[in-house]
Order: sequence, then C-alpha cells, then structure tokens
Amino acid sequence: MDPITFSIIRHRLFRIVDEAVITLKHVSGSAITNEGHDLMVSLYRADGSLLMGGVGFLHHLTSAAEACKATIRRFGDDIDEGDVFLLNDPYTAALHTSDIYLVAPIHYRGELVAWSACFVHVYDIGATNPGGFCPDAPDIFTEGFSSPGIRLVSGGRVNQDVMDTMLNMVRSPEMVALDMSSMIACNNVARERMLALIGKYGHETVDEACRTLIAQSEELLRERLRELPNGSWQSRQYIDVKGEVFKVNLTMTKRDDRLIFDFSGSSPQAPYAINCTKWASLGGLFAPLFPLLCFDITWNEGVVRPIEMIAPEGSIVNCTRPAPVSVATVGAIQSVNNAACAAIGKMLDASDKYASEATAVWHANHFAVFMFGRNQHGGEAIGILTETFAGSGGARNFADGIDVGGEIPNPISRMANVETLETIFPLRYLFRRRMKDSGGPGRYRGGAGMEIGLTPHDSPDGGLHYVVSGKGADFPMSEGLAGGYPGAPNSYIWVKNNEAEADPRNTDAGFGQAVDDLPGDQERVSWGVFPLMGEDVLYVRWNGGGGYGDPLDREPDTVLEDCRTGAVSRETAENVYGVVIDESMSAFDPAATEARRKALAAARIPAEAAE
Amino acid sequence: MNGDKSYVIATDVGGTCTDTVVFAAGEPIHIGKALSTPPDFANGVIDSIRSATDAMGLPLGDLLGRTSLFTHGSTVVDNALLTRGGARTGLITTEGFEDTLLVTRGAYGRWAGLAEEGLKHPVKTDRAPSLVPAERIRGVPERVDYKGAVIRELDDESAEAAIRHLVEGAGVEAIAICLLWSPYNPVHEQRIREIAATVAPGAYVTISSDIAPVPGEYERTSTTVINAYAGRIAHDYITELQALLSEEGYGGPLLVMQGYGGLLPAKEASNRAVGMIECGPAAGVIGARYLGGTMGDPDVIAADMGGTTFKVGVIQGGALEFAREPLVDRYHYVAPKIEVVSIGAGGGSIVSLEPRTGVPRVGPQSAGARPGPVCYGLGGTEPTLTDVMTLIGYMDPTTFLGGALRLDIEAARKAFEAGIARPMGMDVNEAAFGIYRIAAAQIADLIHEITVERGLDPRDFVLHAFGGSCPLLAGVFGRELNVKRIVVPYTASVNCAFGLVSADVVHEFAHTATCPVPTPAEEINAIYAPMVERARAQLADEGFADGDIELQWSADLRYRRQVHEVTTPVRASTPLDEAGLATVVSDFEALYERKYGKGSAYRGAGIEMTLFRLSARGRMTRPEIPVEPLAGEDTSAAHRGKRDVFVEAEGGFAPADIYDFASLASGNLIAGPAVIHTPITTIVVQAAQTARMDPWRNIVIAFD
Repeated sequence: MDPITFSIIRHRLFRIVDEAVITLKHVSGSAITNEGHDLMVSLYRADGSLLMGGVGFLHHLTSAAEACKATIRRFGDDIDEGDVFLLNDPYTAALHTSDIYLVAPIHYRGELVAWSACFVHVYDIGATNPGGFCPDAPDIFTEGFSSPGIRLVSGGRVNQDVMDTMLNMVRSPEMVALDMSSMIACNNVARERMLALIGKYGHETVDEACRTLIAQSEELLRERLRELPNGSWQSRQYIDVKGEVFKVNLTMTKRDDRLIFDFSGSSPQAPYAINCTKWASLGGLFAPLFPLLCFDITWNEGVVRPIEMIAPEGSIVNCTRPAPVSVATVGAIQSVNNAACAAIGKMLDASDKYASEATAVWHANHFAVFMFGRNQHGGEAIGILTETFAGSGGARNFADGIDVGGEIPNPISRMANVETLETIFPLRYLFRRRMKDSGGPGRYRGGAGMEIGLTPHDSPDGGLHYVVSGKGADFPMSEGLAGGYPGAPNSYIWVKNNEAEADPRNTDAGFGQAVDDLPGDQERVSWGVFPLMGEDVLYVRWNGGGGYGDPLDREPDTVLEDCRTGAVSRETAENVYGVVIDESMSAFDPAATEARRKALAAARIPAEAAE
Repeated sequence: MNGDKSYVIATDVGGTCTDTVVFAAGEPIHIGKALSTPPDFANGVIDSIRSATDAMGLPLGDLLGRTSLFTHGSTVVDNALLTRGGARTGLITTEGFEDTLLVTRGAYGRWAGLAEEGLKHPVKTDRAPSLVPAERIRGVPERVDYKGAVIRELDDESAEAAIRHLVEGAGVEAIAICLLWSPYNPVHEQRIREIAATVAPGAYVTISSDIAPVPGEYERTSTTVINAYAGRIAHDYITELQALLSEEGYGGPLLVMQGYGGLLPAKEASNRAVGMIECGPAAGVIGARYLGGTMGDPDVIAADMGGTTFKVGVIQGGALEFAREPLVDRYHYVAPKIEVVSIGAGGGSIVSLEPRTGVPRVGPQSAGARPGPVCYGLGGTEPTLTDVMTLIGYMDPTTFLGGALRLDIEAARKAFEAGIARPMGMDVNEAAFGIYRIAAAQIADLIHEITVERGLDPRDFVLHAFGGSCPLLAGVFGRELNVKRIVVPYTASVNCAFGLVSADVVHEFAHTATCPVPTPAEEINAIYAPMVERARAQLADEGFADGDIELQWSADLRYRRQVHEVTTPVRASTPLDEAGLATVVSDFEALYERKYGKGSAYRGAGIEMTLFRLSARGRMTRPEIPVEPLAGEDTSAAHRGKRDVFVEAEGGFAPADIYDFASLASGNLIAGPAVIHTPITTIVVQAAQTARMDPWRNIVIAFD
C-alpha cells in the first residue's frame, strides 16, 4: 500500500487511542485511573482481533480482544450501531470482576468495521470486601457483580434498567456510575474519530492500512525472533499465602519465528483468590512481551500470532469455575508476567544484537492495600494506596534498575503525593522513603523499593480498616538476571503501639525513625482485612528490582556511592558485594575488598568440589 | 508618555535569536534581530537593539535615552537547566521524606516528557539526573499536619546542623527548603531560613512556601529546588542587564516577562528564577491574544514552527490556558504558566525511513541550524522538511533570508532521492509531496489532541501561524482542522518580542485552604483581604494609579473524591456576597463539564474550594499597531510571475502566482494557489483559498 497514506493512518490510529484515554481520565476523575493509570483503551478489528494497543495496563490488550470476540459470539447479528456492551466475567475474558470492560462496535454505513474497548478498575464491584480485592473469597460468587456480556447502551441510549441493576449491587454507586460514564464517553470519542478517519480516506483504504499494519507487526516480530537464538528458558515464581506456597512454572521455548510459553508444572488452582483464568494468563505474558520485544512494533494481532501458550487446565494459571480470582491481577497474572519478563530477559541476554534490551524483573509484587472507612471530613474513603504503582526497575544489561521507577506492564503510572493521601484518608505518614538494600544486588543493581509507615490521624472512628492481599513476604519475587540477585521481598507489619504507652521509646513515636525502633509488638500481616486504630502503625515495605550480573563484579567505587546515597548498607556492601568500606564511608579498602571478594567467590563452591 | 521619552523597547532572548521590537507613536514598528550569546545573554540583547537602531539610523544611546520602557523575556533560566549550569544546591526537608524529590512520585519522572517511542520502551528510559543528589538532601525533625497544625516542633539544632553539613561539608551554594504541609503553615520553613541567614549568609535560599505555596510535596519540592538552583543566575543576569542598559543610556524601568504572561519589575523577577521558565513562548501567546483582540478574534490557536520545534498555545474567549503539570527539560514544577505544548517538529526535522519497515517519518531527530538542511549547503547530509519544501517549489532559492543564503536545490534533490524517494520506489516529486502531507497530518493530529484535551473544537478558532516554517504548512493542516481562517501576522518573526509590549505588569498571589461549599462569603473575603492589601500596595509602589489597577480573583474548585481541579475566575464584584459566591460555584460546574465532558460532574460528593488566587494587574499603555490606509484588491505591483509548486488539491505541481510581501498593500487580494515571499518566511496559499493583506499588514487566509 502507498507508504504515505499508511504512515498518516497509522499515526492517526495511535492518536485516536490517545484521545480516548484523555477522555477516560477526564470523565472518571478517580485517583486509581488518573494517578495509577490503571486503565486501558485499544482499537480492535471487526472480528475482535487487536488493531492498535494503547499504553495502559498491558495485561488487558489481549483479553479485551477476547471480550470483543465473546460479545460477537454471544450477540451474533444482534449487534447494532451505537451499542455498548459490558463484560467483566473472568471466565469469559476479563481479568477479575472489578476491571470492567466496555466494548463498543463501530459501524460505518451500517457495516460493523471495528471495535473500541476500554477498562477501568471501578470504585467497587459489590464483592465481599470494598474495592474488589477479596483475599478470603472462597469462590467467584462472592467476588461481586459479574457479567459474561450485557448490553449497557442500545443505539446510543443507556439502558437505565441495566445500569441501575448493576449500580444496585455496588458500594458508592455514584462513583461507579462515573466510572461507567467515563468508559462510555471514551468509546464515543474512539468511534467518532475512527469514523472521521474512514470518512476522509475511505473504508477500503483504512481497512487496507489496518491489514497492512497487522501483517507488518507480525513480520517484524517474526524477523526479530529469527534473529534471536533458539532455545528454552525457564523461570519459576513462588507465591506465598498464609504459609502455603504456590508455583508458577514457565518454560519458554523459541523455535525459529515462534515463541511458546509453557506453564506446565504450575501449581493446581489455589483455594485463595490468587488464581487466574486462561485469558488472564495470556494477558500476563503479553504485558512484558509488548515493551520488551515490540518496543518499535505496533502492538496488535500481528504480534499475537507468533505466540503460543500452554496453560494446564485446573492450574493456578488456568483455573476452572468457580475458583476465586479477585486477587489475580496482583497474584498469578503478575507472576506470569514476572516469569515471562525473566525468560524473555534471558533470551535477549543471549543475543549479541539484543542484549541491551535485557532486563531483570521489575516490581514483581504489588502490595495492593485497599483502605476503607470514614475520613476526617465525614465522607467515605475507599481506595488503593497508589504507592503500589511505584515499583522499582529491574537492572539492565548496561545499567542499574531505576529506583522506584515503576513497572513494565503499566509503563506510565505514578503515585499520589503524601499531601494528597493525608487529605483523602484519616492517616498520617511517618515516613515514605527508599528502602535500603531492597534493590537486587548485581554488577548492575536493581532499583530500590520503598517503605511507608501509616498511623490514624483525625479519624472520626479512631482509625480505619484495610484489605491486604500481600504475598511475596516469604520469597523474593523480582528475579535477577545473569547471576544478579533478586530484589528484597515485601514486608507488612502491624505495629501494636496502642499497648505500648509506657514504652520509654514512645517519646518520639510516630515520626521518621526505623520500623524496628517503633514501640509496640510487631505482627506480620499479609492476607485479609485488618484494623488500623489508635496509635497503631501499618508498616509496608515493597520489593526492589532484580539485579543483573554478579555483585562481585560491581565496581567498588559504585558500591561506595550506593552506600553514600543510602541505597546499600555497609554490611551488604561487605557481605554481598565484597566491598569493604570504612565507617565514615570515605573510601573502600582495595586490599580488604580483593580478599573479601575472593573469599565470597570461594565460599560459593562446596569444599569437595573445590578440591 | 512625554514627548522626548517616546519609545518602548521589547527584547526577547530565545535559544537561537534575540529579537527586538521598537514602538513609537506614529512610526512603523522597528525590528531588530541578533544571534543569542549564551551564557552571557545580555550581550546579545544589546546586539539585537543595535540591529534595530542601525536600521532606524539612530545611535543606540539616542534611542535608549528616549525610551520610557524596556520589557524583556529571556531563556536564561531554561538554558541554566538544559546545560545543568546552575548552582551546587542542597535540600532540607521533613525527616522521613528525604527521597521525595529523587523518586519523582514513582515512574512519573521517568516517563514525563517522553514521546510514544519512549513510553513503549521502558528498558531504555531513565529519569533526568536529580538537580540535587541524595548526599545533599537532609531531613530535619519537624512535622505539620494536613490542617497546618504543628505536631512536632522544629528542632533548631538539627536544622542548624543540616545547614552546616550542606554548606561546610558538601559545599553547596544554594539551599532549597521544602517541608510537608508548609503551604498551610510556613513557620518551620521560615525559621530554617532565619537560621540559614545566620549560619550561611552567603547561600542563596529559597523556601517552598514563598515560591510555590501549594499542596503536593513532590512538585513543590522540585520547584523550590529549581528556583534555588537557577536563582543566582537569574538574579545576576537581570542585574547585569540593568547595568549594561544604563551604561548605554537607558534610565527607565526594566520589566521582565513571567511564564504566566505578565511582567514583573526587575527587582522582584530577579528572585523568582522559576517564573522566567518558558517566558518567551508565553509572551508569544500574549502577543497572539493581543493581535486576536485587535482583529476581533477572541479564539485563537497560536502555532509557532521554527527550525526544531513546533509550539502551540490556545486562547479561548480571550482567556489563556494554564499548564496543569508544567515540565522544564524533564523536571516538574508548579507555577502559573501559560500552556504551550511543543513537539520536536520543525524545518530542520530529519526525514527518514523506519529501518525495518521502510515507512517514512518526519523527525523526531533534527538537523537544527547546524549542520541544518541539505539545501543550506552548511554540511547537512540528511534530508529535512525544509529540503522537502524546496523540492516542492515553495522556497525561492534566490530570495531566502533576503538572499543571504542561496539554497542548493540540486543537493537537496540528490540526498532526498538517494535516502527517501528511491528506497520507497517513488519519484522525487511524488515522495516529497507525500512527506509534506505526513508533516501536515501529524500537526493536525497534535492540535486536535490538544484542543480535545481542553474540551474545545478547533472549528471555533482562528489559526495564527508564526515562525519560519508554519506558514508553509498552515494552509493544509488548517484546512484539515477546519479552523475559521488563518492569520500570518506581520510580526510573525518577532512574535515573542511583540508579546512583551502587549503585556501588563501582573503579580500572582495564592492562598491554600480547603473550604467546603457552602462556606460563608465573608470567610472567603477574609482569605483575600491580606492578599488584596499586599497587591494594591505593591502596584502603587510601582507607580500604578488606582484606575490602572485591576484585581482578578479566581479559585480552584473540585468535586470531592475527584482529582481534577478547575481554576474558576470570579466574575461577580469583589469582595463577594453570597450571590456572587454562588455564581463562582455554578461557573465551576459549567467549566468542569465543558472541559471534562458531559456527565463528568459528580455533585453528590460535594464541592470544595482548595486554592484562592489573586491576579493583580497594573495596566500598561499598549503601543498602537500602525494602520495602513486600505488600497485596492489589485496585487499587480507585488506580482513576481508564476512558478510550479505543489498544490495539495491537485496532488501535484501546478502553476502558482508568486508575490513579494514587501510590495503588497493592505486590501490586496490574492487567490490561491499562490506563494508570498517575505524576508523571513514563505506563505503558501493553497487552491480554493484566498489571502488578503489587512490594514496591519497581516496576511489573512480564508477558505472558499
């Protein structure tokens, strides 16, 4: 096709998605959508296959394609101009019930020519726990409203009975209504702009450009795969819940121009809501695949074609109804995406041409704390602590990971300011800072995670409650690459300061000291609903990124610099990096360092093997 | 103004050129241009004024001696940030929150300012290095809560130790102080500043409650740091410029442009480095607004395209759009600033084929001014958009820059054919037409997105085309956007300087407080009373009579549990009564729906006011733009024959009338396709468009 027109249409398709995202954020106005960027808008072909994926939460690009296809299967000829369908059943296509898809057909002169689809994490979905994450849900039936496909808008008119029925099942229906309006408006913008594009260039031309775009993406990815070495790479992720451990096991095989992700050997589905469905797993592996292998390729169906997934039925990565899945997005899906990132990283690192694209795992573990209760203004406060989006970068083949640099599957998130959070919630932050020694050691260090301490402040009820679905406190999850260590695990501590009134350390309680210096008993929490009352403190620390390469190969000067900037402790410098640094951190000792590194290297080899 | 002090001079220092306009009643506008002279920008200012006086046949000293007002904008602060040339700076903050600046609200600082290519490629992205590294950040024990209550007293000794550590240990020259919740209670910041004045009298100190008294600690910290970092440079620059001007004979006031489009007296401006960021482009928007107002067009899209950047600002109903999340280089800051969106697209943008797909693209790389386009013959080897303009017949090789540079079409053709046309399997003309269309379409996409983001429709706007490259493309992208008409202003080449003389002195005040709706009007008035008093005293001090002082109140409102805040101007008379306050709330609701879309408002949650702003304006006398008597439509005096150029509607070359701008008279009417050459730009009038020269010598292009 004529490269000029193609170039113009491709640019415009991307802009259409961009404009629809702006509309979504504008109308929604919620923190999770606007700060967390927990959203997605994409365009799909008439058959539901992905045409233009937007830069949102990337887990959703392929599952929203399945949502379009499921809608086509369910409604057949009964799909009309101006309709909008709602779908959030994870066993049909969605990831979990609180991520609602609205998919809308685009008709040109009466003919179905494309789809637009979007999602936001709605304010509430009427599940057991506020906000949608239900760590202790026994099954999908307790995870709130769920639809395999329902017509929310007919011919441009909202079906108020359907909307009201849905809103009748959720907390804060006004906020959910706003989420729904935002998605309807977003689909409207996508349709108007798509029709303007077709109006200008003609349906034939636009259709040809779309076909070319998909064929081109496919060819480009296949060509890239052919340039990469053949082989199999493995990665395992361990998810700990209440003392039980579940495994996501991945063997990724690259053969010529195909890539097969085989999850055989993963744990059977869990009694906890960390499971995910097949479509969710597919989304999970594509989330890192798009930015790692297709950074210069349009994200569409062409990228999907060379990829194959094997996910055993009844396993944690392809659970069967009615297994609970509400925590999937920060459970099995996130582990699938971590494992895929690690396996792809290993493959890239094995290629001369693409080694500089290799990265250790970024932010493997969302801590996903949902607060709920009454706030200091007498209003209701339900909301995720947006710090969970402030993950840290994995180390790269050529550089350190970025301290608190975000995450791969949601490349443009951010967290709210403390001064914003302290007005939304009746809370006071004791500290919010980088966590020393959290970045995975390596020749290139993983980015640092953070730690926060929270205590009630001016709460009308003396405090509030929170839902935590924190795993990854027993095992680190941000895998390292090429000998790099993983990032530190998460930690969730309930500091029971209420019973510590008489503690002499209490004089400066509640300010910037270390968690170990906070008075009161400390209890590890990770799973369920807990109170945060009175003077108690919730301490959360989240993981750093994985390291790259052997920490013994890190430049001693750089390790010294890490100590000075607070990223690494002197103990870790000595015991993990083998760099001996004086107490004032003015210099490292070259002779002692060399000896220490030799000793550390020798200790890795069992005595009998060394002999 | 009295007779012997009749001139007004405005000089704008840009990255490449320093522009001057000189106004006097009854005289045409005089224009001066010189190259900017970083890092000693003040020299370029004098050069630029001299270039105007040379053309006027007047010695520099004579002009300056007869000048009553000198207004100025400069890129000096932007330059200090871009070149990392600022002071060695330290930061003092609340203990426990030392990393706020470094972690940039998570990924925000990593992706902000990236184009699509960067957003899709996280492995290859990083933050800009912090202006203050971790070792120069010190937390001090203290805490204020969200209501402004002190819940932990500041420890003076720790504060002193922190300052000593920074100054004596780390050798800092500037100190930024930003504590949690200081906008609600600045007492601790002020105390630390006092201690610093004693302990480190030589250090340049900025406190956040002075420079950016708004909640949101990351952006406020970043702003404070930027101001401390560039503070001395801005201060010294303004002082030096004042000295230079006075040496050359100028004795009047120096007013300095701010990013929000108002002028400040030199003394005040010199302590607000952050205010000078992007003040040139802001002046450009002010100029467009003034011109729009003069021409009866309150709704203007101001597009400026030079060698490397395409910039666009939007004026609606005469009102300016302010940036919500301003960014300089890749650093966030919070200060009132006119929104000017820019992308890397200009005449110097390199045309290339994507290595793997062969799909043609324009930019984002640029050949800049050096080596520049191939046709300049200055060593450029990669074809640029300007080369394409030459190939499609728009540029006249002999009259470019008034004949100063002869364009080498053949070199451009060769490079374009080898690098672009042949690999695409197209002939040179066909490929060049295509590239032109891609550039126009991408600009149309950008402007569309910007207007949509503001809830506006481009069809309601007049397009002003500034800069050397914009008038070449405006006829095509303006048509695609369906703007009302296109204006190529007479002052297009010195637009920012022109904006400087159409601005007022404006002081911006703000007070942060959260007031639910309804709050009694008297409480709101009590918030304003001290600001109003300060503003009046300040303007009176600067010599403004009561009648020339204008106080504009506005407030930021939001729906509770929603993140979007909308600055709502107070239309009612002030101080407010209850009815007036009710109007503010209903205006907010209307503005909110206009900007964020129908159905976006959630009244059930309640409304609150979060920030109270006062814009205190000292009205300046506007120089009058000279008006030419209308001549007829006949253009024969300016007609310079015909030439084949690319005509979009024809899809190829077609004969076009060629005109010399200098010989056109007001009222002259040109039917497209036509090309008008001016000494600094080329205006292309497409088929089915007509261009008319108006009495101010602007070219107005209308669609048939």
